Amino acid sequence: MTDQPTGAELTELVALARRAATAYDRPDLERRLAVVARAVEDDRARVLVVGEFKAGKTELVNALLGGRALPTDAHRATTVPTVCGHGEQAGVVLVRGVESPEGSGPSVEHQSISPGALAEHVTENGNPDNRAGWSHAEATLPRPVLEGLRLVDTPGAGGLASPAAVSTMAELPGADAVLVVADAGRELTAPELALVRTAAAVSPAVVVVLTRTDLHPHWRRIADIDRGHLDRTGHDALRAVRVLPTSAALALHAAEDGDLPPETARALAEESGVEELRHLLSEVAQRRQDRRVRLATDEVLVACEQFATTFRAERDALADPARAQRIAAEVERARNRAAGLRDRAARWQQTLNDGVADLVSDIEYDLRDRLRAVITDAEAALDDTDPGKTWEQFAPWLHQQVSAGVSTNVVWAEERTRWLAEKVATHFAEDGEGVLPPVTVGASPDGAGLAADPVAMLAAPDHEKFGVAQSLMIGMRGSYGGVLMIGMLTTIAGMALLNPFSVGAGLLLGSKTLVDERKRALRRRQAEAKQAVRRHVDDVIFQAGKNSRDMLREVQRTLRDHFTTTAEELERSLSATADAARAVEADGAKRAARLADVEAELERVAALAERARRERARRSPSSSRPSRLVGA
Amino acid sequence: MTAPDPSGLVGAARHVVDGALRLYGTGPADPPTAWARAVLHDARARLDEPLRVALAGTLKAGKSTLLNALVGERVAATDAGECTRLVTWYRDAPSAAVVREDVDGRRAAVPFTRDAEGLRIDLGGIGDPGRVGRLLVDWPSRGLAEATLVDTPGLDSIRETNSRRTLSFVTPDDRPSGADAVVYLMRHAHRNDVGFLEAFADLAQGGAGGLGAVGASGTIVVLSRADEVGGGGLDAVTTAGQVAQAYREDPALRPLCQTVVAVDGLLAETARTLRQAEFSALRALARAPRAEVDALLLSADRFTAAEPPAVVAEALASDPDGVRLDEPARRRLMERFGVFGIRSATTVLRRGARTGRGVVDSPSLAEELIRRSGLGELRDTLTSRVLGRRDVHQARSALLAVDLVLGRAPRPDAGPVAAELERLLTGAHAFTEQRLLAALRQGQVTMPEGTAAEAERLLGGDGPGVAERLGLEPGADVRAAALEALDRWRTRAESPLTSRAAAEVARAVVRSCEGALRAREH
Repeated sequence: MTDQPTGAELTELVALARRAATAYDRPDLERRLAVVARAVEDDRARVLVVGEFKAGKTELVNALLGGRALPTDAHRATTVPTVCGHGEQAGVVLVRGVESPEGSGPSVEHQSISPGALAEHVTENGNPDNRAGWSHAEATLPRPVLEGLRLVDTPGAGGLASPAAVSTMAELPGADAVLVVADAGRELTAPELALVRTAAAVSPAVVVVLTRTDLHPHWRRIADIDRGHLDRTGHDALRAVRVLPTSAALALHAAEDGDLPPETARALAEESGVEELRHLLSEVAQRRQDRRVRLATDEVLVACEQFATTFRAERDALADPARAQRIAAEVERARNRAAGLRDRAARWQQTLNDGVADLVSDIEYDLRDRLRAVITDAEAALDDTDPGKTWEQFAPWLHQQVSAGVSTNVVWAEERTRWLAEKVATHFAEDGEGVLPPVTVGASPDGAGLAADPVAMLAAPDHEKFGVAQSLMIGMRGSYGGVLMIGMLTTIAGMALLNPFSVGAGLLLGSKTLVDERKRALRRRQAEAKQAVRRHVDDVIFQAGKNSRDMLREVQRTLRDHFTTTAEELERSLSATADAARAVEADGAKRAARLADVEAELERVAALAERARRERARRSPSSSRPSRLVGA
Repeated sequence: MTAPDPSGLVGAARHVVDGALRLYGTGPADPPTAWARAVLHDARARLDEPLRVALAGTLKAGKSTLLNALVGERVAATDAGECTRLVTWYRDAPSAAVVREDVDGRRAAVPFTRDAEGLRIDLGGIGDPGRVGRLLVDWPSRGLAEATLVDTPGLDSIRETNSRRTLSFVTPDDRPSGADAVVYLMRHAHRNDVGFLEAFADLAQGGAGGLGAVGASGTIVVLSRADEVGGGGLDAVTTAGQVAQAYREDPALRPLCQTVVAVDGLLAETARTLRQAEFSALRALARAPRAEVDALLLSADRFTAAEPPAVVAEALASDPDGVRLDEPARRRLMERFGVFGIRSATTVLRRGARTGRGVVDSPSLAEELIRRSGLGELRDTLTSRVLGRRDVHQARSALLAVDLVLGRAPRPDAGPVAAELERLLTGAHAFTEQRLLAALRQGQVTMPEGTAAEAERLLGGDGPGVAERLGLEPGADVRAAALEALDRWRTRAESPLTSRAAAEVARAVVRSCEGALRAREH
């Protein structure tokens, strides 16, 4: 990763385009570019390491880092997430949110500690159940593998006293990659498979990392069985998940035993699978960069095309006043068609509205169906036991079942939503038939579908062949189905996934009363417990149902705004173009002066566009390299 | 067979069951009575049989492997995938036979063969495996003389029917538990494991007189696959032992079991069934240059590779005994010992060769590996806490059966039997100890500052032996210590400042001390 863009150039490019938008009086484009600028700002890929407790997550992170930087222990597990990033100086900062005394809302407290003291703060040893309340630790390490990455080591799920599963779920949305760590000694368990499923729904790259292949002679068979489990689910996202066998012990041995001959150390590192994982992570980092570059350059090119169209029309009219009217008329026709896109009766609007209505009812039905099954199980369980005594164990079980049902539902909703978005984008393009080129959305998980044809993207549209209006449309193709839209949708779905996990406080309250009233008759306690279960599930259906409706409405709004704004920008560009063509000066001298100005502006815009294209050509194209992120 | 019955509990329980049988054995056989008769007959028969110990745990925890290690022969088949699908009983018998019992109670002999992997039981011709209730394997073996071992399917299997078979065996709805004691295997204490242990300890229903289905006193937790806990290094099982110690003190696990022991099941099984050829192979490996062998043992893959590094190949080829460690031979060694096992074996063999003492031949290697695998400790624990208390566990199972019958098929004339049952369940000191121990560990009783740990120990929480109860090193003066404890606890029991619950505990501790004194004088 030696040619990592520093990020500054991209930021500068977008800033330049924003200034141009202001100068050319296009506040609509300026707003859009501001969104882009924010999205481009963070240049590090977030990679989560998740899994059941004691699966060897921290050991794996250490192997990736090439040394024991984080504390591990045979018995005590990690309790606080640790975020590893690159820096020249090793250092650790603990972070927690605190309520500030003046009541000015929550603020963040930072505390620097020496790296050696990390174990006292992030494992069960010094900080059981994370009583200190740290939200996470930020470790800065001078390890090259971390460049362009934020590697998050999470506490595992399923320990004796860890409510960590919820915080793991909270981390998932928006992760650039998720490594699900599992033991190579046995096939994936049901909870592990559920974790993979959720991760695959919200993150573009998920890898099941099997650990400790050095100890298990049968790891190949286990890897095959796991592969089978993933393939049998029938989800494309899960079929794309790779299973990568690794041995942290081998990698650490290779890194730490200084007496090893270099070729032996290399062979060990290769055999450990950790080297492969490093490549994969650098690919994730690269993808994040590519995506940033693509997003920034796409949007800048689109903006340039819109500026240029107006100037070009004006130039043509100035050069040949006789043609001015013809140009104006042509542009006007295109403008009318573009205006039709905003029309409520446009087909994409219909598709969107009907699709969301269908989704709301389907998703609600699915949720009810799932939770009804949970109630049946729970009631059967309650019939056999005294809830007064078992409630403390029963409540977490129920919460887990309900959470699993809800998150599966949300994940399914997310898939359907993405599908709807693609359909709307297609119809948008079809509605603007003749104006807009066809679109491919989301052909790859991170919405990189548009880049499938990078050459077409990079080539400047041929104005002579297509005419002014049409070349504008081709230039705009990136703006109506691209990276930006998919990015927005992912964030929305991620929020919806988080919410169900906040439901459950009521259940804990309910448990108190049940435990306290031991004296009552068993039957009565059982009946009450069942009631409590039903009430809780009702609450969850109400909450989660509202969440998913809200999410879908948000999706609907986002998509509508996105496409409407695109249509508006288009219309505005065309209308400015028509005005420019019409307002040709009669006076020869003034015309010549204006022509020179316009030519100069065009050159400036062309220079900006050229810069964006160069930036893009320089960075992107890792397309020739085979991807390691997709399974066989 | 007559079993030792030091507490007289088995005799008393037999008396109660016989009384109940007389009650239910006469009159018309309506369904409830017929059911009661069947349950009582089974309970009566069990009192004269060896103790029934079930091996339970989650998928791939190593139940069948540990069963083989305990028997000392490869009887239960093992595999990398999910293997045991049926509840399978292994009992001592004069001749080998396999019988399948269907859910409707019908029995039929099943053909079987035996190879190096264990018994191959041919269930072909049955059609629907759901019909089969259990398999009964009769096997002549000293390892099964004291206890009938029951292998069970994994508890969190994705194939749910398998898990259900295990649960309905250990904690059935309409019968007393099929097991008198449970050895529960887990890799780490996962929350699911705690859930299953709770079902066995049956804290929920409380059982008759507060005793569980199997009861915490009948449950031993094994941290199986101990070799993996410590990362397969030479000190892996030691590290796992420390983890086991931590679990023993964990408030979530403490009320649910007697104790936690770490065992490397694979190594234990192999050590119990060690062959001379394996010993020779390991010795040849121990003779080869150590650095090279260590490099070979960095991973299972390296060890079983077709072409080992030239240096090792040379060393292996020049073994004085002409042992050839070709690829298939190395593969077999890996299958049988695992990385940790081979590392341990070569280490002790090297030391033995250097010093000429310790591990020098096949039997001494087997013995050392049994010790290192943790099996030795597990067997001691089983002997002292489970097999040695056979009377208590069996009497409890029988009495719970009578309790179940009296509750589900009530009769107006059951008064005397019910009274005697009640007297035993609440009066027998062994049961009182178990009940109070559970109450203490669950925190239901608050003892005066600093006395809870001693009370638990004296009630048998660290083991039922006199020295264990008094916390004495071997050779210490038992009598003086017992008298001293007796004195202290009598004062506590009689003090007006002691709460009622704590006084009850103190009185029980006094009786335990008296019992310890008596046991010493015998």
